[in-house]
This record gives sequence, C-alpha cells and structure tokens, in this order.
Amino acid sequence: MLDKISETRNNFDDDLSKVSDLNSLEDVRLKYLSRKGILTQFFEDFKSVPNDQKKLVGQSLNNLKTHIQEKFDSLKSEIESRTNLQKQSDIDLTLPGRTYQVGSKHLITQTMDEVKYIFKGLGFSLFEGPELESDYNNFTALNFADDHPARDMQDTFFVTPNFVLRTHTSPVQIRVMQNMKPPIRAIMPGKVYRNEVISAKSYCLFHQVEGLYVDTDVTFAELKATLVAFLKQFFGKDVVYRFRASFFPFTEPSAEMDVWWQPKGKEGRWLEVLGCGMVDPNVFINVGIDPEKYTGYAFGMGIERTAMRKYGIDDIRILFDSDIRFLKQF
Amino acid sequence: MKISINWLRDYIDLSGISLDEIVHKLSVAGLEVEEVIDQSKVFENFVVGYVKEKKKHPNADKLSVCIVDDGTSEHNVVCGAPNVEQGQKVAFAKVGAVIPSEGIKLAKAKIRGEQSFGMICSEKELGLSDNHEGILVLDSNIETGKNLADAVGQNDIVLDIAITPNRADALSHIGIARDLSAIFKRELKFPEIKFKESQKKSSDYAKVEIVDAVNCPRYIGKVVNGVTIGESPNWLKTKLKSIGLRPINNVVDVTNFVLYEVGQPLHAFDLDNLTGEKIVVRCASEDEKFTTLDSKERILKSTDLMICDAEKPVAIAGVMGGENSEVTPSTKNVLIESAYFNPSSIRKTAKRLGLSTDASYRFERGSDFNITQWAARRAAQLIQEVAGGEIYSGEIDAYPTPITLKTAKLRYSRISKILGYEVSLPNVKDILKNLGFTIKLESENEIEVIIPGYRHDIEREIDLIEEVARIYGYDLIPEINKVSTTLEDKIDQSAFNDNVRNILTSLGFYEIMTNSLVKESTAYRFGSPIKMLNPQSSEMSHLRPSLLPGMLQAVSNNLKVNEKNLKFFEIGKVFEKISDSEITSFDDFTEKEHLIIALTGKEIETEWYAQDRREDVFDLKGAVYNFLNKLYRATEFKTTYDVTDRFTEQSFGITTEFGNIGIGGKIKTEFQQLFDINQEVFIAILEVDSLKAILEPQRKFKELLKFPKVYRDIAFVLEKDVESDKVIGVIKEASSKLLHQIKLFDIFQSDSLGKDKKSLAFQLEYYDSSRTLTEDEVDKEFRKIIQTVEKTFGAQLRGA
Repeated sequence: MLDKISETRNNFDDDLSKVSDLNSLEDVRLKYLSRKGILTQFFEDFKSVPNDQKKLVGQSLNNLKTHIQEKFDSLKSEIESRTNLQKQSDIDLTLPGRTYQVGSKHLITQTMDEVKYIFKGLGFSLFEGPELESDYNNFTALNFADDHPARDMQDTFFVTPNFVLRTHTSPVQIRVMQNMKPPIRAIMPGKVYRNEVISAKSYCLFHQVEGLYVDTDVTFAELKATLVAFLKQFFGKDVVYRFRASFFPFTEPSAEMDVWWQPKGKEGRWLEVLGCGMVDPNVFINVGIDPEKYTGYAFGMGIERTAMRKYGIDDIRILFDSDIRFLKQF
Repeated sequence: MKISINWLRDYIDLSGISLDEIVHKLSVAGLEVEEVIDQSKVFENFVVGYVKEKKKHPNADKLSVCIVDDGTSEHNVVCGAPNVEQGQKVAFAKVGAVIPSEGIKLAKAKIRGEQSFGMICSEKELGLSDNHEGILVLDSNIETGKNLADAVGQNDIVLDIAITPNRADALSHIGIARDLSAIFKRELKFPEIKFKESQKKSSDYAKVEIVDAVNCPRYIGKVVNGVTIGESPNWLKTKLKSIGLRPINNVVDVTNFVLYEVGQPLHAFDLDNLTGEKIVVRCASEDEKFTTLDSKERILKSTDLMICDAEKPVAIAGVMGGENSEVTPSTKNVLIESAYFNPSSIRKTAKRLGLSTDASYRFERGSDFNITQWAARRAAQLIQEVAGGEIYSGEIDAYPTPITLKTAKLRYSRISKILGYEVSLPNVKDILKNLGFTIKLESENEIEVIIPGYRHDIEREIDLIEEVARIYGYDLIPEINKVSTTLEDKIDQSAFNDNVRNILTSLGFYEIMTNSLVKESTAYRFGSPIKMLNPQSSEMSHLRPSLLPGMLQAVSNNLKVNEKNLKFFEIGKVFEKISDSEITSFDDFTEKEHLIIALTGKEIETEWYAQDRREDVFDLKGAVYNFLNKLYRATEFKTTYDVTDRFTEQSFGITTEFGNIGIGGKIKTEFQQLFDINQEVFIAILEVDSLKAILEPQRKFKELLKFPKVYRDIAFVLEKDVESDKVIGVIKEASSKLLHQIKLFDIFQSDSLGKDKKSLAFQLEYYDSSRTLTEDEVDKEFRKIIQTVEKTFGAQLRGA
C-alpha cells in the first residue's frame, strides 16, 4: 500500500503539471479528490490494513491527502486570478476618464492670495474699504495739499468734487487708524482706479495691496527688513533688489523698491515693485495718533504688474477680457 | 528731465567717480535715473580717417575714388564731395555704421563699377548741423583711427532723471550737482559772474510795479541794450541740444540755458515793445484775450496773474510770454525778467489753460526766491558774451516784503527713533551743510538749521531726517534680521470672499473680473447709476449699478471666439445713487458687494459615456444651493417662486430667516439680444453683505446613526400642474419626525396615466436615532401619507 501511495503522489504531480485551465483542473479533482476519487478509495482500503501497519500507512496517507489538497488549492487560485486578468482585458482601459469640471480663481486673485499669504505669515491682519471714497480720505488726510503738483501723480476719476474713485488703497489706512488704537499691523488689498487711457500698459483700474504697521518703536530699518523678507518669499531667495529714496505725500522718509529684471537674451533693468515709507507725522495728526509717541511704516504694491511679469503677460487688458481660453491657463 | 554729464562737470568735480556709481547713488538718493543715453553710441563704427590717395572715378566725372586709412587698414571709398583732397583727416563711416541723418546701416557697395567700403561724411550726414556743402574736414593733428565721437566732442552722456514733485530744487544742473556734492562730499562750484556794467542804470530805463504782491512776491528786471540777435555759439548750442532743446537765437538760448543751469525761469522782453518801458504785475481782467508765443489766443480769468506794460499784458506770468513782446531778429534792447511767483497761482492758471511749460513746471513746484538776482546777472553776462550789448548797471528789484528763510529743528534722538540706525553727528551736519542748510543754533541734543529758499519741501524735523537718510544712502540701511510683530488678535476681512471663491471654483466655475466703468445707456438699463465728472471716454462714463452687464458682455465675448460652454462668477462692488440729489456724503449712494454666477451652453458635451445636455435652470439651482449649503451647512435656505425680475424669467428667490439673499433665473431674450447672445444664459445674483449677515450656529458633531434606516418608495398619479414642492410639503406635514428625507426620484408623463396626468415617485427615508423601527410603525406612517396626498391632490397611488 505504501508503494501505491508514493506512486499516486508522483502521478498526481504529473497530472497537475499538465493542467492549463479550470476544466482540466476539474478532471484532476474528479480523479483524486471526488467522492469516487483515488483518495476516497485509499481510505476505504485503509480499513483492511493490518493493525500493526496502520500507524505507518495512516501517516503516509494523511501526508498524501495534505499534499494533494494544498497543491490543488494553490493551482486553482493561480488559474482563477489569471482568468480574472483575462476578463479585465475585455475593457478598453485606454478610454479617457470621465470629466470633472474644476474652475479657477482669477489670476489677479491668485497673485493677491500669494501676497496675502506671505504677509499673514508675517503677522499682518487684513482690512478692506470702499472704492468710492471721499476726497478727504483719498487725498487730504493723506497729506496731499490742495493745489500741490503731488495731486497730479495720480490721475483721478471724480464723481463730485469731493468724491473720487480711490486712486490707491491708502485711504483704508486712514479708516483703520481712525477706528483702531495702535498697535496696528494690517494689509489692505483692493481695487483702485486711475483716469488713464486704456492701453497694453495701463487700464482704468487695477489692484493694490497696502500695508501699515504702527507701534511705539517702528523704524525705517524694520520696514526695509520686512519688505526684503517679502521680496525673498515672493520672488525667490536670490532676488536682486534696491531700496531707493522717493516721494509720497503720506510717508516720510519715502522709498521705492526695485527688483532687477533679467529677461533671457535681453538687457536687464530695474523694475519698480513697491512704494513705502514711514507714516508722515501729518497723517498721524489727521487721525488723532500722537506722532511723538508712535511711529509707523506703510507700503503699497500693484498686483497686475507683478502677475504680468511673473507669467509673461504683455497686455494688461487680457486680464479683464474674461476670455475662457485665458482663464483656463491659470 | 535730461541732465548732461559734461554740463554737470561745470559745477562739480566728478573725476574718479564711475558713471555706474553716479547713476546708482543718484537713484538711491531719490533722483531716479531712468535712462542713460550715451551720445557716442551714435558714432559706433565711425573713426577719424586719413585720405591717403584720391583718384578720379573712371566712369563718373563728379565722383572720386579714395583710399582711406582707418588706423588699422586701408579701404577703397567712392566719394561725391567736391572738397575731398588727399592728406585730409575726415569723418569715416566704416561698413556696418548707421548714418545718423538717415538711420541706414552702411553696406559695401559698387558705385558705377567701383567698389566702395565705407563713406566719408558731411556734418549733415553726421547729424551735427545742416551743412551739406561738402565733407567734414577735421583738424590735421587728430590721430588717424581715433573714435569719431571723441574727435567731434559728441561724447557726452545724458541722464534721464525722474524728478518727484517735491524736488523742485533738482530741476536743474546745479540742483543735481548739489545732491552729488552732498553724496560724494565734493564742493559745489557756482560759476563766477564777471562783466562790465555801463554807467547807465537799469532802473533809469525801465520800471517795475507789483500790484499783486501775494502772487508775485519778487520781480527783478535787468536791462541789456544794443544786442545783436543771431545764432548761438557752438558751446551753447551743444549744451542745449544735449538735453533735447532746440536752439532758437542767442538771447532766448541764454534764458533757456540759465533755466537749466540753476532752475530759475527767465523771460527776455524786447524792451522797445514795452509801452512806457514799464512792467506792471497784476491780474487779468475777466475774459481778457491774449495771444501767447505759440500764436494761440487764450481767454483769461481775473485770477490769472499777468505781466503787463503800461498799457497791455505782455506775458502770462510764469507760464508763457506774449507774441507782442517776444525777442525777434530785429530786437536791440532787452529786459530780462527774473521773478518769484506764488506756486499755487501759477498752477491754477497753467492747469486751467492746459499749458505746462518749462517755466510753469518750476514755478508751480516752487522756485528759489533768493536766486532771482543771481540768475538775472548770469543771464546778462551770457547775453553780452554771445550777443554783445551794454549791460545796464544794477537790477530793478521789486520785492515789497522780503521773504524770511524758515528754520527747522532736528533732535538727534529722533533720527534713530525713526530710522532705526545711527548716523554720526558730524555726518548729519555735513549732509545738511552740503545740501545748503545753514546751522543756526547747535546744542547737545539738537540743531536748528536755516532752510535754503530752493527747498520748499522742507519745513519739519521729519523732512530733515529724510534728507539725512537719503544722502547717507538707503542701501546702507541695515536689514535687521528680526521683525517685530504685535501679538494682537489677527483679523481677516477677506476670508469670507476667499471661501466663496474656493467653493465656486470647486463647483467648476471660473472667476472673472470685469470693468466697473460702463457706458451711460447700459448703466441706466441696469440701475440708478452714478456718473463721473471726468470720464476717460463715453464708453466708461458711469459706475456699474449691477454686475449683470459685465457678465453678459463676458459671455458675449466668449461666444464670439466660439467658446460656448461657460461657467463664470464674479465678486465685485456695484454702486447706486439713493436720490437724484448731488452726492455730498456717504449716505447719498450705496456701494454693495455682489456675487454673480452664470451658466450657459452645454453642461455635458457629448462623451463616450454620456449624451450632451444643455444647462438649464435646474443646473443653476443646483449650483446655487450646492454653493450655499457648502458655505453654511447649518442654515436653511428657502426658495420663493413668486418673484418678478426685470432681467430674468423662470426666476426664483433665495431667502433665509435673516432676509433675502438673491435671485436667479434665465436671462430674458431682450437682454440676451442686447449683448448679441444667441443661447440661453442662467444667472444668479447674490448680495455678499446679506450672505455675510447670516448667523451660522456653531457646528456640532452629530452622533453617527447606530440603527438601520428604512426606505419606502411611493408613486402618485397627479394632475400635471401640481408642483412637486407642494406634494413634498404635504408629505412632510403628514409625517412624524421619523421621516428624515424625501427624494423625488422619477417624473413620468404618458397618456397611459390619463390625460394631463403625471406620476411623481418619491423615496422616503425613515429612522430613529435611538432604536430600530418596526415594520408596523413605518407602514402606519406610509399609509397616512398615501391618504393625505390622495385627499389633498385627488391623487392616485400608482400601481394600486
């Protein structure tokens, strides 16, 4: 009987090696594992094995059963998974996926968000203000003298002699300082207007971000350090910049910051990116803050120009044309 | 403003300082150099040539063939000039040079069969003068091969400097030189004035009377008699041309020269055309007519300050002279005007007349009342130098109330308080002294300085601190690597809109930004608009009262480029008048923030997995409510259908317990047509302020359901015109709190149901968060619904 068992084991291995699909595997099952199969027959025969041999034969028979069952199971699952794969290949996986529509924020919003994100990281709050402003908030409170040529620096849309479309976000400074006590640390983004002929270079409106910090010991050196930190985060660590004296009625000393712009294959040049300075004492007096006790800095920058430079847009009008072919690019 | 480096050297020694350094330091000090123009660039590829040999051209009588040595090699050159001779030093343009007068790049050429490599140039061809009689013959001592720009003195460098409106003092070469002298700590040299004055006194030959001393605090006249009007000498023409001025005649050129030298505008009158040899400074009569130098007739106002003679106006003070007294080729006797006018008066007149001149530009920014005498004398000296004549002694100086120079104090402690870094005291004093301030008083803690007459921008301590900072150098400001920040609560007023944008983009919408300025007809069609006093054009004359026209225009623009499937939104301000009266305060108008959402075209374009489908009002409702429910999860938004809207049909309103939020619907055909749109557009306009006013309860976590939900499906056959919303309402009313959701999942219409009937099928969801429901109690609920709906609408349970 032991010989028969070992012979069966070899036969089974042999039979199994010839199996190629589930059908031929089923034949093997019928031959060995079914109710009328070889194994069942062996266990029938086992009953008549003499008692003294029972232990040895029994062991060997059990081994054979385990061997056959395991080999069979493993081959079965292998063939099944192979068949599943074959089923899958009935699908044309190269078909494109179903579309999900996702829109996008306007490029100006995206750029503004970047600027906001940096300044919020530097501990600034964020305030907004109206676009149709009083002449007082837009000019007078900001130390623009009546009849001074400084008023010509910004071409203004008037609604009445005393109401204007704000020419900068600086009037929000006035509103914030009128309503809060120092310390004040805030940026003020928004839309501003200039009465200029519309061209590739200029539009009748654009967006600015204004910044203001008022406290007891705010200095010009800190202003420079803050803005340098901003430039490095926005344009990259290697940005080349300069801090240059300038003039704004509402700051003194005043400065502008330029970054070095080096287009490929062209001559490099300085491009102005922002204006800034220490809040003029007259502005503090106009909003009831003591200029002897408090000092402060303010800064402002245009968003469109920055975005255009960053993305290589040479005509500002495309930003306001609402052309979906443009919008989808960003 | 253009500043010539060669000219600057008359007032300051710039030796050893590189051009780059000058440009950089001036810019950083607030005199931004926008452009550096190198004159010699024009003469690239031009050298001093030596005519080694001259032969007649074999095929042309008037031409010659020369061999020109350019210092390194010899060239065959065909020349047409009659005066070219062997042995001359000439201006030689090599192949590749661009001829200034023509702007043409020189190539090698074959002229009547002879090869020519280059060109011997005339003064006209070089752009040096109009002389084209022959070639320019240079001094024979000039070295062959030398750069032509150096040889003809065209080697100036001109800086184009942007002068901010506060720096009237920098609108001249001496003004720029003064800043350079402070920056580089070098002496500022004023030209010495030396001339022979005659025995005759200016004041005996002309008189000055100031009637309006407020607007004309000082007026100086000086007489130069017997001048010969003619062309200016080369040095003067070169200086004026270098900064882009056109020479006119020697006397006028001198007045322009002095203006650009020291910043004092001057005027030269033909003394013989001044009736009574008298100047009267007074205001014009209302609507008086006057013809200015540019031959234009101007209508004056009684606020315009005029320079008059005994009878009539002869110049608009500080703006422009008159035709009736200008210097002409026949002028013999000249009265030089050097005055100081009230800046505000000049600005008003110049602005009203739309006439900005070199003079008005300086006077309205504030000229130097103390330089007037020097400038008059300087002009007299130069007129005599270039036009001859006799300088009458002394000046007529009408100066009724001499202006006292102002002073300002500077506390040392404030310098570091404002700047955040120390500037040494000697440094501070040097800077101020070099800029022309005189130290009046000095103590341990502060100094008091006298402000020079040319610095109208300086009055206060802070102004002095700025002077110190900008001359010390903004690039030397330390970047303190530590930034202080307040630890107050941080506020972000833009966070709400940021969230709105995030949700809408995630729903597939693109943000647009449109012009807030619209034309009148559009503005009135969409609201009660606010008009602008000074619009740029009639296309942008009013503030938008609504976001709708901008959105429809955006849709229209895209349709024109065949982009037909659009999902847009815009957040922006809209402006409306409250009453018809003039706006005098913020209460007379509204400025509101709106959100507009638009859908048009196909929701799905035909795909392998779906048929195409056009957007309809349910896409709009879906978008709006998905947006709102994402924005406020715990707020109930109600829809109303009894709204009427001017612009839409299929309209619906959106409200909450806090009030109306907005409106949505399909744009009416007439408004579609107005914007040339030929497909349906669905629009919702929401008020951002109303959205912000919603008080959202604090979100709380809800325990997850531990017991099973039970679903029942139910379909009713109803009259066709029964609204689904009403049926849902009745179902809700007939149910207990065990019913949590009603979903309309099928609408079916067919004759098989009966005429004008439809079937609505609902799925009802029941559960209780504290126990498992029994079949019996759900069935009870269910039966009650069937009964009520049948009774209310005369409906029939379908399939029953």
